[in-house]
Amino acid sequence: MSRSSRLRAEISAAGRAFLRRRTAVFFTFVFPLLLVVIFGALITTESGGGLFTENAVYYVPGYLAVVVLFTPLSRVGSEVARHREDNRFEKLATTPLRRSEWLLAGTAVNLAIIGIAGLLILALMVLLTGAAIVVTPTSILLLVAFVVAGVACFCGVGAILGSLTDSQDGVIAASNTLALPLLFLSETFVPPAMLPGWLPTGLSPLTYFSRGTRAVASTPGVESSVLVDLGILAVLAVFALLLGAWTLPRTD
Amino acid sequence: MTAVVAKDLRRRYGDTVALDGVSLTLETGEVFALVGPNGAGKTTLVRALTGTTTVEGTVSVFGEDPQTVDPQRIGVLPQSFSPHARLSARELLEYYAGLYDDARSVDAVLEDVGLVDAADTWYEDLSGGQQRRTCVGATLVNEPDLLVLDEPTTGIDPAGRRSLWNLLDGLADHGVTILLTTHSMEEASRLADRVGLLANGSLVACDPPETLIEAHAGDPRLTVSGSFDEDVIENLSMPAALGPDSLTVHGVSPTDIGAVVEELDAAGVTYDGISWAEPDLEDVYMALAEDVDPAVTGGRQREGSAGPRSIPGQGDGEQAPTEDRS
Repeated sequence: MSRSSRLRAEISAAGRAFLRRRTAVFFTFVFPLLLVVIFGALITTESGGGLFTENAVYYVPGYLAVVVLFTPLSRVGSEVARHREDNRFEKLATTPLRRSEWLLAGTAVNLAIIGIAGLLILALMVLLTGAAIVVTPTSILLLVAFVVAGVACFCGVGAILGSLTDSQDGVIAASNTLALPLLFLSETFVPPAMLPGWLPTGLSPLTYFSRGTRAVASTPGVESSVLVDLGILAVLAVFALLLGAWTLPRTD
Repeated sequence: MTAVVAKDLRRRYGDTVALDGVSLTLETGEVFALVGPNGAGKTTLVRALTGTTTVEGTVSVFGEDPQTVDPQRIGVLPQSFSPHARLSARELLEYYAGLYDDARSVDAVLEDVGLVDAADTWYEDLSGGQQRRTCVGATLVNEPDLLVLDEPTTGIDPAGRRSLWNLLDGLADHGVTILLTTHSMEEASRLADRVGLLANGSLVACDPPETLIEAHAGDPRLTVSGSFDEDVIENLSMPAALGPDSLTVHGVSPTDIGAVVEELDAAGVTYDGISWAEPDLEDVYMALAEDVDPAVTGGRQREGSAGPRSIPGQGDGEQAPTEDRS
């Protein structure tokens, strides 16, 4: 049995298990959409950019980051905790499935979910806020690449959180504690000019996601800085996935 | 031919000794039951043998390190294992089958574990027994040569348990080596070629059930229920012990029962009832586990037990050595 067959089995089981948790599915999609409606449409300023002062398209990375950051952290983290509590990792350790394959499969399921949620967010932003998003084959390809790298990165971080915390409650608390500062201090909703100069935003993977997706969504053509941001994010994603797979528990 | 060889396994969790020099050999096709009190080290030993925890000492499974042995050859049911709750029994078996190079037909496994009618029911909606049988099914999808089951029948009703026992019997008949842990002495007696008693991290006994019973369980006993004066024992020709609401007469064979009753009648002793019991594996467990840790049995023998320490005039029960006796 090839690695792809094992991945298929794991993706199929994990995908079905997620889709059958209806409340999880509902809130995974409703939460980011609610944010777009509240901050993008209901609360408006004279600039027309929603709660904040920049143009609507400036906030594309922020709204995308809500799902690219929060969903993998909480979902993968909780799944790791659930697997550990139910001794599923101990069982899987005696099968041909490797821990890296388990995490790759989980990442693939998250990518599918977040891909759909991301599309809904972009459509809602265009409809409600009139965001002028650049739509070209290259920009779509780059947006997809950023989402893939971002999701992979935070799936790895989620796996680390799930492995280090001792319960599902602990995962949720830890992921919120990590995600909230990251979300607001990574050039997503708050422009860098409004942040203290000493703040090391470059340490956050989300910063590269924000810079890259903002440039892709608002500027026609490919700037070299976009590829640099994508490269850094991809490297961080590979590192996070490797570390996440390594920290996954076998038994104790 | 040996399936599993473990030598001098040691493991500590802080100050707690989980394994203290355990050695064990399982022959191919053998059914080995591991019994012992909670916290005795059973699960740690199972994890050591399946390569899911690290220990001092050496373990080989089919001649290889357990972490590198072909996973196709082993099937493991961890303790308290619970799979995805919202997949059906069939989907769960398909999932685990999908992880192996060579898997059995899921329909055949469903039939083996008696879940054909409940195959499309979500795991969370199955009864406790059906859930456990699904978990056992997940260990059978790869047709393993070695099956390691940590408390496989916990939560299964008597009918389901017997059905599972028959399944394990059939697997053993086909040469599958089975290591199971259990708290049911009936299960250990019924299934196992050999039983190992683990207490405080040490394998204090390891023999076929009948050998253990003969060596450690004591004699058959007659239990007479009622309230008795202390001098009632003087009227009996066989050794006896007085309890709060019973009198236990030791070494009573079925043909001796009439004589004991006659002696009681002759002494004018009245009683509420009489029961006779052969010694069994539970007596072995209570005797040996208490030898190691009196807290296991609350410092008391099993009610009416004829364990080796309770019979006046007999020596202390022999404690089996820790080393491998296979």
